[in-house]
Amino acid sequence: MLPVLQTCPRHLLVCEKSSFLQNRARYTNHVETHCFNYAVSILLPECGHLPGKLKSMIDGLGSYYLVKDLPLHEFITQEFRDKFLKKGLFYALSYNTRIDQDNAACLLPTGKLILSVEKDTYEELGLQGKQSLYSGKKATRYFISIDLLDDGLYPDSNKFQRLRWSLVEKKPLKFDFLFAWDILDISTINTYFSKYNVKEYPFKISSTVLKDLLCPVLKSRDLNGKGGESCSAAGIFEWLGAVSNNIDCNNQAYNFTSTLCCPDPNVLVEQAYVCTITGFITPLKILQLIQQLREYFDEPKLSPWASLMVHGFADSPVSWREREHGFFKGGENLYSLVVFNNEDYWIYLAVGTHDDCPP
Amino acid sequence: MSHVIDIYKTLPLKDATEFGLEIQAPKKANAFVSSFMKRCLPNLKKVTADEFLERKAVVLEHVHKKKKRKRNKSKGLTSKERREMKLFEIKADQQRYEMFLPLHDLWKQYIRDLCNGLKPETQPQMVQNKLLKADLHGALVMVFKSKCPSYVGLTGIILQETKHVFKIITKEDKLKVVPKLNCVFSVEIDGFITYIYGSKLQMRASERSAKKFKAKGSLDL
Repeated sequence: MLPVLQTCPRHLLVCEKSSFLQNRARYTNHVETHCFNYAVSILLPECGHLPGKLKSMIDGLGSYYLVKDLPLHEFITQEFRDKFLKKGLFYALSYNTRIDQDNAACLLPTGKLILSVEKDTYEELGLQGKQSLYSGKKATRYFISIDLLDDGLYPDSNKFQRLRWSLVEKKPLKFDFLFAWDILDISTINTYFSKYNVKEYPFKISSTVLKDLLCPVLKSRDLNGKGGESCSAAGIFEWLGAVSNNIDCNNQAYNFTSTLCCPDPNVLVEQAYVCTITGFITPLKILQLIQQLREYFDEPKLSPWASLMVHGFADSPVSWREREHGFFKGGENLYSLVVFNNEDYWIYLAVGTHDDCPP
Repeated sequence: MSHVIDIYKTLPLKDATEFGLEIQAPKKANAFVSSFMKRCLPNLKKVTADEFLERKAVVLEHVHKKKKRKRNKSKGLTSKERREMKLFEIKADQQRYEMFLPLHDLWKQYIRDLCNGLKPETQPQMVQNKLLKADLHGALVMVFKSKCPSYVGLTGIILQETKHVFKIITKEDKLKVVPKLNCVFSVEIDGFITYIYGSKLQMRASERSAKKFKAKGSLDL
Protein backbone atom coordinates (compact mmCIF):
# COMPACT_ATOMS: atom_id res chain seq x y z
CA MET A 1 0.00 0.00 0.00
CA LEU A 2 1.23 3.48 -0.75
CA PRO A 3 2.38 5.29 2.37
CA VAL A 4 0.30 8.28 1.33
CA LEU A 5 -2.84 6.20 1.43
CA GLN A 6 -2.13 4.70 4.82
CA THR A 7 -2.43 7.97 6.67
CA CYS A 8 -5.80 9.63 6.64
CA PRO A 9 -5.68 13.27 5.53
CA ARG A 10 -6.68 15.93 8.01
CA HIS A 11 -10.36 16.06 8.80
CA LEU A 12 -12.39 17.68 11.49
CA LEU A 13 -15.51 16.59 13.28
CA VAL A 14 -17.27 18.78 15.80
CA CYS A 15 -20.01 17.32 17.99
CA GLU A 16 -22.39 19.34 20.07
CA LYS A 17 -25.17 18.35 22.41
CA SER A 18 -28.03 20.69 23.12
CA SER A 19 -31.75 20.96 23.33
CA PHE A 20 -34.34 22.47 21.02
CA LEU A 21 -36.00 24.00 24.04
CA GLN A 22 -32.97 26.07 24.87
CA ASN A 23 -33.52 29.67 24.12
CA ARG A 24 -30.42 30.17 22.11
CA ALA A 25 -30.28 26.93 20.22
CA ARG A 26 -27.23 27.11 18.05
CA TYR A 27 -28.42 24.64 15.51
CA THR A 28 -30.36 27.28 13.56
CA ASN A 29 -27.19 29.25 13.23
CA HIS A 30 -25.28 26.24 11.97
CA VAL A 31 -27.99 25.38 9.48
CA GLU A 32 -28.50 28.90 8.22
CA THR A 33 -24.86 29.65 7.62
CA HIS A 34 -24.29 26.49 5.64
CA CYS A 35 -25.80 27.76 2.43
CA PHE A 36 -25.08 25.31 -0.33
CA ASN A 37 -26.60 21.96 0.43
CA TYR A 38 -26.71 19.26 -2.09
CA ALA A 39 -28.44 16.38 -0.35
CA VAL A 40 -30.45 15.70 2.76
CA SER A 41 -31.04 12.23 4.01
CA ILE A 42 -33.40 11.38 6.81
CA LEU A 43 -33.14 8.16 8.77
CA LEU A 44 -36.16 7.03 10.78
CA PRO A 45 -35.60 3.79 12.67
CA GLU A 46 -38.66 1.64 13.44
CA CYS A 47 -40.63 3.27 10.70
CA GLY A 48 -42.06 1.61 7.63
CA HIS A 49 -43.42 4.60 5.81
CA LEU A 50 -43.09 8.34 6.05
CA PRO A 51 -45.56 10.03 8.36
CA GLY A 52 -48.11 12.09 6.46
CA LYS A 53 -46.94 15.52 7.56
CA LEU A 54 -43.33 14.86 6.72
CA LYS A 55 -44.30 13.36 3.39
CA SER A 56 -46.37 16.32 2.36
CA MET A 57 -43.58 18.61 3.50
CA ILE A 58 -41.01 16.76 1.38
CA ASP A 59 -43.30 16.67 -1.62
CA GLY A 60 -43.95 20.38 -1.32
CA LEU A 61 -40.32 21.44 -1.26
CA GLY A 62 -40.65 23.15 -4.60
CA SER A 63 -37.86 23.34 -7.07
CA TYR A 64 -34.60 25.03 -7.95
CA TYR A 65 -33.34 26.63 -11.14
CA LEU A 66 -30.45 26.21 -13.47
CA VAL A 67 -29.47 29.18 -15.62
CA LYS A 68 -27.03 28.48 -18.40
CA ASP A 69 -24.20 30.82 -19.38
CA LEU A 70 -25.09 33.65 -17.09
CA PRO A 71 -22.55 36.50 -17.16
CA LEU A 72 -21.44 37.49 -13.71
CA HIS A 73 -22.18 41.16 -14.25
CA GLU A 74 -25.91 40.41 -14.10
CA PHE A 75 -25.53 40.15 -10.35
CA ILE A 76 -24.12 43.60 -9.87
CA THR A 77 -26.83 45.58 -11.66
CA GLN A 78 -28.83 47.88 -9.46
CA GLU A 79 -32.05 46.26 -10.60
CA PHE A 80 -30.96 42.79 -9.59
CA ARG A 81 -29.74 43.97 -6.25
CA ASP A 82 -33.01 45.74 -5.54
CA LYS A 83 -35.23 42.95 -6.76
CA PHE A 84 -33.50 39.94 -5.32
CA LEU A 85 -30.67 40.64 -2.93
CA LYS A 86 -32.35 43.25 -0.79
CA LYS A 87 -35.28 40.95 -0.20
CA GLY A 88 -32.83 38.37 1.05
CA LEU A 89 -32.52 34.61 1.06
CA PHE A 90 -31.35 34.41 -2.52
CA TYR A 91 -28.80 31.70 -3.21
CA ALA A 92 -26.74 31.15 -6.32
CA LEU A 93 -23.93 28.73 -6.94
CA SER A 94 -21.94 28.08 -10.08
CA TYR A 95 -22.66 24.65 -11.44
CA ASN A 96 -20.21 22.15 -12.89
CA THR A 97 -17.21 24.18 -11.84
CA ARG A 98 -14.51 22.31 -10.04
CA ILE A 99 -13.20 24.22 -7.08
CA ASP A 100 -9.63 23.03 -7.47
CA GLN A 101 -9.12 23.83 -11.12
CA ASP A 102 -11.86 26.06 -12.51
CA ASN A 103 -13.18 29.43 -11.55
CA ALA A 104 -16.15 29.21 -9.26
CA ALA A 105 -18.61 31.75 -7.93
CA CYS A 106 -21.42 31.89 -5.46
CA LEU A 107 -23.83 34.42 -4.08
CA LEU A 108 -24.63 34.25 -0.40
CA PRO A 109 -27.96 35.40 1.03
CA THR A 110 -26.04 38.09 2.90
CA GLY A 111 -25.37 39.77 -0.44
CA LYS A 112 -21.77 38.68 -0.68
CA LEU A 113 -20.51 37.62 -4.05
CA ILE A 114 -17.70 35.14 -3.60
CA LEU A 115 -15.35 34.31 -6.43
CA SER A 116 -12.75 31.64 -6.21
CA VAL A 117 -10.55 32.11 -9.23
CA GLU A 118 -7.34 30.64 -10.49
CA LYS A 119 -4.17 32.69 -10.66
CA ASP A 120 -4.33 33.68 -14.31
CA THR A 121 -7.90 34.89 -14.09
CA TYR A 122 -7.13 36.83 -10.95
CA GLU A 123 -4.27 38.64 -12.61
CA GLU A 124 -6.48 39.65 -15.49
CA LEU A 125 -9.57 40.48 -13.48
CA GLY A 126 -8.14 43.35 -11.52
CA LEU A 127 -10.24 42.90 -8.42
CA GLN A 128 -8.70 42.79 -5.01
CA GLY A 129 -8.75 39.39 -3.36
CA LYS A 130 -6.90 37.19 -0.97
CA GLN A 131 -4.64 34.27 -1.59
CA SER A 132 -6.38 31.01 -1.10
CA LEU A 133 -5.44 29.46 2.21
CA TYR A 134 -4.89 26.05 0.71
CA SER A 135 -2.87 26.67 -2.41
CA GLY A 136 0.55 26.55 -0.81
CA LYS A 137 3.37 29.05 -0.87
CA LYS A 138 3.05 29.96 -4.50
CA ALA A 139 -0.56 30.96 -4.76
CA THR A 140 -2.44 29.38 -7.62
CA ARG A 141 -5.89 30.34 -6.43
CA TYR A 142 -7.41 33.52 -5.13
CA PHE A 143 -10.50 34.21 -3.11
CA ILE A 144 -12.41 37.40 -3.86
CA SER A 145 -15.29 38.54 -1.73
CA ILE A 146 -17.48 41.43 -2.85
CA ASP A 147 -20.23 42.87 -0.71
CA LEU A 148 -23.02 43.73 -3.12
CA LEU A 149 -25.18 45.31 -0.44
CA ASP A 150 -22.46 47.77 0.48
CA ASP A 151 -23.80 51.32 0.63
CA GLY A 152 -20.73 52.57 -1.21
CA LEU A 153 -21.69 50.58 -4.28
CA TYR A 154 -24.02 53.11 -5.88
CA PRO A 155 -23.79 53.34 -9.67
CA ASP A 156 -21.59 56.44 -9.83
CA SER A 157 -19.07 55.34 -7.27
CA ASN A 158 -15.54 54.44 -8.25
CA LYS A 159 -15.96 51.10 -6.60
CA PHE A 160 -18.95 50.21 -8.71
CA GLN A 161 -17.38 51.50 -11.92
CA ARG A 162 -14.32 49.40 -11.31
CA LEU A 163 -16.37 46.31 -10.54
CA ARG A 164 -18.50 46.82 -13.61
CA TRP A 165 -15.48 47.44 -15.80
CA SER A 166 -13.72 44.27 -14.70
CA LEU A 167 -16.75 42.04 -15.00
CA VAL A 168 -18.17 43.53 -18.19
CA GLU A 169 -15.16 44.64 -20.20
CA LYS A 170 -11.96 43.23 -18.79
CA LYS A 171 -12.82 39.64 -18.10
CA PRO A 172 -16.47 38.72 -18.76
CA LEU A 173 -16.81 35.61 -16.64
CA LYS A 174 -19.69 33.29 -17.41
CA PHE A 175 -21.04 30.46 -15.37
CA ASP A 176 -23.94 28.06 -15.24
CA PHE A 177 -25.74 28.99 -12.08
CA LEU A 178 -27.98 27.14 -9.71
CA PHE A 179 -30.59 29.41 -8.18
CA ALA A 180 -32.72 28.97 -5.14
CA TRP A 181 -34.92 31.52 -3.51
CA ASP A 182 -36.84 31.06 -0.34
CA ILE A 183 -39.18 33.94 -0.93
CA LEU A 184 -41.09 31.88 -3.41
CA ASP A 185 -42.02 33.81 -6.46
CA ILE A 186 -41.16 31.59 -9.32
CA SER A 187 -42.24 33.93 -12.04
CA THR A 188 -39.78 36.62 -10.94
CA ILE A 189 -36.74 34.52 -11.66
CA ASN A 190 -38.21 33.36 -14.94
CA THR A 191 -39.09 36.82 -16.17
CA TYR A 192 -35.97 38.54 -14.93
CA PHE A 193 -33.65 36.06 -16.56
CA SER A 194 -35.81 35.49 -19.61
CA LYS A 195 -32.86 36.40 -21.83
CA TYR A 196 -31.05 33.33 -20.63
CA ASN A 197 -31.82 29.68 -20.66
CA VAL A 198 -33.63 29.06 -17.38
CA LYS A 199 -34.68 25.57 -16.41
CA GLU A 200 -36.65 24.52 -13.42
CA TYR A 201 -35.71 21.30 -11.67
CA PRO A 202 -37.73 19.45 -9.04
CA PHE A 203 -35.97 17.82 -6.13
CA LYS A 204 -35.08 14.19 -6.58
CA ILE A 205 -36.51 12.08 -3.79
CA SER A 206 -35.52 8.51 -3.25
CA SER A 207 -36.53 6.39 -0.31
CA THR A 208 -35.74 2.89 0.84
CA VAL A 209 -36.92 0.76 3.69
CA LEU A 210 -34.13 -1.18 5.35
CA LYS A 211 -35.13 -4.46 6.96
CA ASP A 212 -33.58 -6.01 10.06
CA LEU A 213 -31.05 -3.33 10.68
CA LEU A 214 -28.69 -3.25 13.63
CA CYS A 215 -29.12 0.14 15.27
CA PRO A 216 -26.87 1.59 17.96
CA VAL A 217 -28.39 2.50 21.29
CA LEU A 218 -28.17 6.21 21.93
CA LYS A 219 -28.81 8.14 25.11
CA SER A 220 -29.20 11.83 24.62
CA ARG A 221 -27.43 12.63 27.89
CA ASP A 222 -24.28 10.74 27.12
CA LEU A 223 -22.43 12.36 24.26
CA ASN A 224 -19.39 10.28 25.04
CA GLY A 225 -21.34 7.10 25.59
CA LYS A 226 -21.15 4.67 28.49
CA GLY A 227 -19.58 1.31 27.98
CA GLY A 228 -22.30 -1.30 27.64
CA GLU A 229 -25.18 1.17 27.92
CA SER A 230 -24.98 3.51 24.98
CA CYS A 231 -22.79 4.45 22.03
CA SER A 232 -20.68 7.56 21.81
CA ALA A 233 -21.56 10.33 19.39
CA ALA A 234 -18.29 10.14 17.53
CA GLY A 235 -18.65 6.41 17.05
CA ILE A 236 -21.95 6.45 15.25
CA PHE A 237 -21.12 9.22 12.80
CA GLU A 238 -19.56 6.83 10.35
CA TRP A 239 -22.37 4.36 10.80
CA LEU A 240 -24.96 7.05 10.03
CA GLY A 241 -23.22 7.80 6.76
CA ALA A 242 -23.05 4.15 5.83
CA VAL A 243 -26.74 3.58 6.53
CA SER A 244 -27.94 6.61 4.65
CA ASN A 245 -25.96 5.41 1.64
CA ASN A 246 -27.39 1.93 2.01
CA ILE A 247 -24.10 0.25 2.73
CA ASP A 248 -24.13 -3.11 4.43
CA CYS A 249 -22.67 -2.86 7.91
CA ASN A 250 -22.66 -6.53 8.86
CA ASN A 251 -19.01 -6.97 8.13
CA GLN A 252 -16.77 -9.51 9.76
CA ALA A 253 -13.43 -8.62 11.22
CA TYR A 254 -11.63 -10.57 8.52
CA ASN A 255 -13.42 -8.85 5.67
CA PHE A 256 -10.93 -7.52 3.15
CA THR A 257 -12.83 -4.46 1.89
CA SER A 258 -14.43 -3.16 5.01
CA THR A 259 -14.63 -4.03 8.66
CA LEU A 260 -17.17 -1.36 9.55
CA CYS A 261 -19.77 -2.66 11.97
CA CYS A 262 -22.59 -1.15 13.87
CA PRO A 263 -21.09 0.17 17.11
CA ASP A 264 -21.81 -1.64 20.35
CA PRO A 265 -24.30 -1.80 22.09
CA ASN A 266 -26.92 -2.20 19.41
CA VAL A 267 -30.41 -3.52 18.91
CA LEU A 268 -32.01 -5.17 15.98
CA VAL A 269 -34.59 -2.95 14.35
CA GLU A 270 -37.23 -4.52 12.15
CA GLN A 271 -37.26 -1.78 9.62
CA ALA A 272 -35.84 1.68 9.08
CA TYR A 273 -36.86 4.32 6.61
CA VAL A 274 -34.20 6.24 4.67
CA CYS A 275 -35.30 9.14 2.55
CA THR A 276 -32.82 11.11 0.47
CA ILE A 277 -33.61 14.43 -1.17
CA THR A 278 -31.14 15.69 -3.76
CA GLY A 279 -31.04 19.12 -5.29
CA PHE A 280 -30.15 22.66 -4.32
CA ILE A 281 -31.72 22.79 -0.89
CA THR A 282 -31.85 26.04 1.01
CA PRO A 283 -31.25 26.23 4.77
CA LEU A 284 -34.82 27.39 5.34
CA LYS A 285 -36.15 24.16 3.91
CA ILE A 286 -33.83 22.18 6.11
CA LEU A 287 -35.04 24.06 9.16
CA GLN A 288 -38.58 23.14 8.17
CA LEU A 289 -37.55 19.51 7.87
CA ILE A 290 -36.00 19.61 11.32
CA GLN A 291 -39.17 21.11 12.67
CA GLN A 292 -41.10 18.23 11.14
CA LEU A 293 -38.72 15.74 12.73
CA ARG A 294 -39.38 17.32 16.13
CA GLU A 295 -43.09 17.04 15.55
CA TYR A 296 -42.59 13.42 14.52
CA PHE A 297 -41.88 12.64 18.16
CA ASP A 298 -45.12 14.25 19.32
CA GLU A 299 -46.70 10.84 19.14
CA PRO A 300 -44.86 8.11 21.01
CA LYS A 301 -42.48 6.20 18.78
CA LEU A 302 -40.59 2.96 19.22
CA SER A 303 -37.22 4.45 18.46
CA PRO A 304 -35.94 7.23 20.70
CA TRP A 305 -34.14 9.07 17.93
CA ALA A 306 -34.12 9.98 14.24
CA SER A 307 -31.38 11.56 12.20
CA LEU A 308 -30.98 14.03 9.40
CA MET A 309 -27.81 14.33 7.42
CA VAL A 310 -27.00 17.27 5.13
CA HIS A 311 -24.25 17.19 2.54
CA GLY A 312 -22.82 20.41 1.22
CA PHE A 313 -21.71 20.82 -2.37
CA ALA A 314 -18.20 19.47 -2.62
CA ASP A 315 -17.30 22.20 -5.09
CA SER A 316 -18.84 25.21 -3.43
CA PRO A 317 -16.36 28.02 -2.72
CA VAL A 318 -17.50 28.32 0.89
CA SER A 319 -18.54 25.90 3.57
CA TRP A 320 -19.90 27.66 6.64
CA ARG A 321 -20.39 31.40 6.45
CA GLU A 322 -17.65 32.82 4.25
CA ARG A 323 -15.06 30.29 5.20
CA GLU A 324 -13.09 29.11 2.26
CA HIS A 325 -13.67 25.59 1.14
CA GLY A 326 -11.30 23.41 -0.84
CA PHE A 327 -11.60 20.04 -2.44
CA PHE A 328 -8.35 18.19 -1.75
CA LYS A 329 -9.58 14.57 -1.84
CA GLY A 330 -13.30 14.64 -1.28
CA GLY A 331 -14.43 18.17 -0.55
CA GLU A 332 -16.61 16.99 2.29
CA ASN A 333 -18.55 19.56 4.21
CA LEU A 334 -21.54 18.12 5.94
CA TYR A 335 -23.48 18.16 9.13
CA SER A 336 -25.89 15.77 10.66
CA LEU A 337 -28.42 16.13 13.35
CA VAL A 338 -29.63 13.40 15.66
CA VAL A 339 -33.01 14.36 17.05
CA PHE A 340 -34.15 12.69 20.28
CA ASN A 341 -37.68 12.23 21.51
CA ASN A 342 -36.99 14.44 24.54
CA GLU A 343 -36.25 17.48 22.37
CA ASP A 344 -32.52 17.02 22.78
CA TYR A 345 -30.33 16.97 19.76
CA TRP A 346 -26.76 16.20 18.78
CA ILE A 347 -25.23 18.00 15.90
CA TYR A 348 -22.15 16.88 14.02
CA LEU A 349 -20.23 19.26 11.81
CA ALA A 350 -17.62 17.68 9.62
CA VAL A 351 -15.16 19.04 7.11
CA GLY A 352 -12.33 17.63 5.04
CA THR A 353 -8.74 18.72 4.67
CA HIS A 354 -9.07 22.05 2.88
CA ASP A 355 -11.50 23.68 5.22
CA ASP A 356 -11.57 25.84 8.23
CA CYS A 357 -12.89 24.51 11.51
CA PRO A 358 -16.68 24.61 11.49
CA PRO A 359 -18.24 27.24 13.76
CA MET B 1 92.32 69.31 -8.75
CA SER B 2 95.04 69.98 -11.19
CA HIS B 3 94.89 66.38 -12.19
CA VAL B 4 91.41 66.71 -13.58
CA ILE B 5 91.49 66.58 -17.31
CA ASP B 6 89.20 68.90 -19.10
CA ILE B 7 87.54 66.60 -21.57
CA TYR B 8 85.61 69.32 -23.25
CA LYS B 9 88.55 71.39 -24.32
CA THR B 10 89.49 71.41 -27.96
CA LEU B 11 91.76 68.66 -29.08
CA PRO B 12 95.30 69.87 -29.34
CA LEU B 13 96.41 70.20 -32.92
CA LYS B 14 99.22 67.78 -32.46
CA ASP B 15 96.96 64.98 -31.30
CA ALA B 16 94.45 65.69 -34.02
CA THR B 17 96.85 65.36 -36.84
CA GLU B 18 98.05 62.16 -35.26
CA PHE B 19 94.52 60.59 -35.52
CA GLY B 20 93.81 62.17 -38.92
CA LEU B 21 90.99 64.42 -37.70
CA GLU B 22 90.21 67.77 -39.08
CA ILE B 23 90.01 70.49 -36.52
CA GLN B 24 87.32 73.01 -37.21
CA ALA B 25 87.09 76.45 -36.04
CA PRO B 26 84.43 76.84 -33.31
CA LYS B 27 82.23 78.96 -35.53
CA LYS B 28 82.35 76.43 -38.28
CA ALA B 29 81.56 73.65 -35.90
CA ASN B 30 78.49 75.47 -34.63
CA ALA B 31 77.19 75.97 -38.12
CA PHE B 32 77.70 72.33 -38.86
CA VAL B 33 75.78 71.20 -35.82
CA SER B 34 72.87 73.45 -36.52
CA SER B 35 72.61 72.39 -40.13
CA PHE B 36 72.92 68.77 -39.08
CA MET B 37 70.13 69.23 -36.63
CA LYS B 38 67.95 70.88 -39.23
CA ARG B 39 68.43 67.98 -41.53
CA CYS B 40 67.62 65.36 -38.95
CA LEU B 41 64.74 67.12 -37.29
CA PRO B 42 62.56 68.68 -39.93
CA ASN B 43 60.12 70.00 -37.41
CA LEU B 44 62.76 72.15 -35.97
CA LYS B 45 61.93 75.41 -37.54
CA LYS B 46 60.90 77.95 -35.13
CA VAL B 47 62.88 76.78 -32.23
CA THR B 48 66.52 77.28 -32.72
CA ALA B 49 68.80 74.37 -32.31
CA ASP B 50 70.34 75.75 -29.18
CA GLU B 51 67.09 76.04 -27.43
CA PHE B 52 66.10 72.60 -28.58
CA LEU B 53 69.35 71.07 -27.42
CA GLU B 54 68.74 72.27 -23.95
CA ARG B 55 66.37 69.33 -23.59
CA LYS B 56 67.85 66.27 -22.23
CA ALA B 57 66.58 63.64 -24.62
CA VAL B 58 66.68 64.10 -28.33
CA VAL B 59 65.26 61.47 -30.57
CA LEU B 60 67.16 61.59 -33.73
CA GLU B 61 65.87 58.86 -35.94
CA HIS B 62 62.25 58.30 -35.05
CA VAL B 63 60.10 61.17 -35.96
CA HIS B 64 57.35 61.26 -33.44
CA LYS B 65 54.18 62.47 -35.00
CA LYS B 66 51.97 64.18 -32.59
CA LYS B 67 48.56 62.44 -32.32
CA LYS B 68 45.78 64.80 -32.82
CA ARG B 69 43.69 64.09 -29.75
CA LYS B 70 40.16 65.27 -29.89
CA ARG B 71 39.48 67.53 -27.11
CA ASN B 72 36.78 66.37 -24.76
CA LYS B 73 33.53 68.09 -25.38
CA SER B 74 32.57 70.35 -22.63
CA LYS B 75 31.51 67.79 -20.11
CA GLY B 76 27.78 67.78 -19.34
CA LEU B 77 26.12 66.76 -16.18
CA THR B 78 26.31 63.27 -14.79
CA SER B 79 23.14 61.30 -14.28
CA LYS B 80 23.34 61.88 -10.60
CA GLU B 81 23.51 65.60 -11.07
CA ARG B 82 20.63 65.47 -13.48
CA ARG B 83 18.56 63.55 -10.99
CA GLU B 84 19.41 66.03 -8.30
CA MET B 85 18.36 68.86 -10.56
CA LYS B 86 15.07 66.99 -11.10
CA LEU B 87 15.46 67.09 -14.83
CA PHE B 88 13.68 63.76 -15.19
CA GLU B 89 10.61 64.85 -13.36
CA ILE B 90 7.62 66.11 -15.22
CA LYS B 91 6.12 69.18 -13.74
CA ALA B 92 2.58 68.98 -12.51
CA ASP B 93 1.30 71.62 -14.94
CA GLN B 94 2.76 69.66 -17.84
CA GLN B 95 1.05 66.44 -16.93
CA ARG B 96 -1.67 66.70 -19.49
CA TYR B 97 -2.76 63.87 -21.74
CA GLU B 98 -3.43 66.03 -24.81
CA MET B 99 0.04 67.42 -24.60
CA PHE B 100 1.46 64.01 -25.31
CA LEU B 101 -0.90 63.00 -28.08
CA PRO B 102 1.49 64.34 -30.75
CA LEU B 103 4.18 62.17 -29.20
CA HIS B 104 1.91 59.20 -29.58
CA ASP B 105 1.25 60.07 -33.22
CA LEU B 106 4.96 60.30 -33.79
CA TRP B 107 5.43 56.94 -32.19
CA LYS B 108 2.78 55.39 -34.41
CA GLN B 109 4.52 56.77 -37.46
CA TYR B 110 7.80 55.44 -36.18
CA ILE B 111 6.42 51.96 -35.68
CA ARG B 112 4.82 51.96 -39.11
CA ASP B 113 8.13 52.92 -40.66
CA LEU B 114 9.89 50.31 -38.62
CA CYS B 115 7.56 47.53 -39.71
CA ASN B 116 7.44 48.62 -43.35
CA GLY B 117 3.94 50.00 -43.36
CA LEU B 118 2.14 47.51 -41.10
CA LYS B 119 -0.15 45.88 -43.59
CA PRO B 120 -2.77 43.43 -42.40
CA GLU B 121 -0.87 40.58 -44.01
CA THR B 122 2.30 41.37 -42.07
CA GLN B 123 3.59 38.51 -40.00
CA PRO B 124 2.66 39.11 -36.37
CA GLN B 125 5.95 37.50 -35.38
CA MET B 126 7.84 40.21 -37.17
CA VAL B 127 5.84 42.99 -35.57
CA GLN B 128 6.48 41.47 -32.20
CA ASN B 129 10.19 41.28 -32.70
CA LYS B 130 10.37 44.83 -33.88
CA LEU B 131 8.23 46.11 -31.05
CA LEU B 132 10.39 44.39 -28.49
CA LYS B 133 13.38 46.35 -29.60
CA ALA B 134 11.60 49.54 -30.51
CA ASP B 135 11.60 52.65 -28.47
CA LEU B 136 8.44 52.65 -26.43
CA HIS B 137 8.30 56.32 -25.54
CA GLY B 138 4.97 57.56 -26.76
CA ALA B 139 3.31 54.14 -26.99
CA LEU B 140 -0.22 53.75 -25.72
CA VAL B 141 -0.12 50.77 -23.40
CA MET B 142 -2.51 49.04 -21.08
CA VAL B 143 -1.61 46.86 -18.13
CA PHE B 144 -3.24 43.63 -19.22
CA LYS B 145 -2.24 41.40 -16.36
CA SER B 146 -0.57 42.06 -13.10
CA LYS B 147 0.06 40.35 -9.82
CA CYS B 148 -1.25 43.44 -8.14
CA PRO B 149 -4.87 43.88 -9.19
CA SER B 150 -4.94 47.65 -8.86
CA TYR B 151 -2.50 48.06 -11.75
CA VAL B 152 -4.71 46.05 -14.06
CA GLY B 153 -6.40 48.20 -16.66
CA LEU B 154 -4.18 51.27 -16.36
CA THR B 155 -4.01 52.79 -19.81
CA GLY B 156 -1.79 55.62 -20.95
CA ILE B 157 1.06 56.97 -22.99
CA ILE B 158 4.58 56.06 -21.93
CA LEU B 159 6.56 59.17 -21.12
CA GLN B 160 9.63 57.70 -19.56
CA GLU B 161 11.18 54.32 -19.39
CA THR B 162 13.78 53.34 -16.87
CA LYS B 163 15.28 50.03 -16.04
CA HIS B 164 12.47 48.98 -13.76
CA VAL B 165 9.47 51.22 -14.36
CA PHE B 166 7.38 52.89 -16.99
CA LYS B 167 6.00 56.31 -16.29
CA ILE B 168 2.71 56.68 -18.10
CA ILE B 169 0.17 59.41 -18.33
CA THR B 170 -3.47 58.37 -18.25
CA LYS B 171 -6.46 59.95 -19.88
CA GLU B 172 -7.38 61.46 -16.54
CA ASP B 173 -4.12 63.45 -16.68
CA LYS B 174 -2.57 61.42 -13.94
CA LEU B 175 1.06 60.42 -14.04
CA LYS B 176 1.41 56.81 -12.97
CA VAL B 177 4.53 54.84 -12.31
CA VAL B 178 4.12 51.19 -13.21
CA PRO B 179 6.79 48.65 -12.41
CA LYS B 180 7.73 46.30 -15.21
CA LEU B 181 8.10 43.37 -12.87
CA ASN B 182 5.07 41.07 -12.66
CA CYS B 183 3.07 42.96 -15.27
CA VAL B 184 2.01 42.14 -18.80
CA PHE B 185 1.47 45.13 -21.05
CA SER B 186 -0.62 45.17 -24.16
CA VAL B 187 0.30 47.49 -27.00
CA GLU B 188 -2.19 48.06 -29.75
CA ILE B 189 -1.27 49.47 -33.11
CA ASP B 190 -3.31 49.25 -36.30
CA GLY B 191 -5.15 46.16 -35.16
CA PHE B 192 -2.08 44.31 -33.96
CA ILE B 193 -2.24 43.68 -30.25
CA THR B 194 1.03 42.67 -28.70
CA TYR B 195 1.48 41.48 -25.18
CA ILE B 196 4.78 42.38 -23.63
CA TYR B 197 5.98 40.58 -20.54
CA GLY B 198 7.41 43.30 -18.36
CA SER B 199 9.46 40.91 -16.27
CA LYS B 200 11.56 40.05 -19.31
CA LEU B 201 11.94 43.67 -20.26
CA GLN B 202 13.76 44.88 -17.23
CA MET B 203 16.55 46.88 -18.82
CA ARG B 204 17.16 50.36 -20.10
CA ALA B 205 15.64 51.28 -23.42
CA SER B 206 19.06 51.69 -24.97
CA GLU B 207 20.26 48.32 -23.78
CA ARG B 208 17.11 46.64 -24.92
CA SER B 209 17.56 47.62 -28.54
CA ALA B 210 20.77 45.60 -28.68
CA LYS B 211 19.51 42.67 -26.65
CA LYS B 212 18.80 39.38 -28.27
CA PHE B 213 15.51 37.98 -27.09
CA LYS B 214 15.03 34.28 -27.05
CA ALA B 215 11.75 32.57 -27.71
CA LYS B 216 10.34 30.78 -24.73
CA GLY B 217 7.48 28.33 -24.58
CA SER B 218 5.29 29.63 -21.86
CA LEU B 219 5.93 32.14 -19.17
CA ASP B 220 4.52 33.05 -15.88
CA LEU B 221 4.24 36.81 -15.57
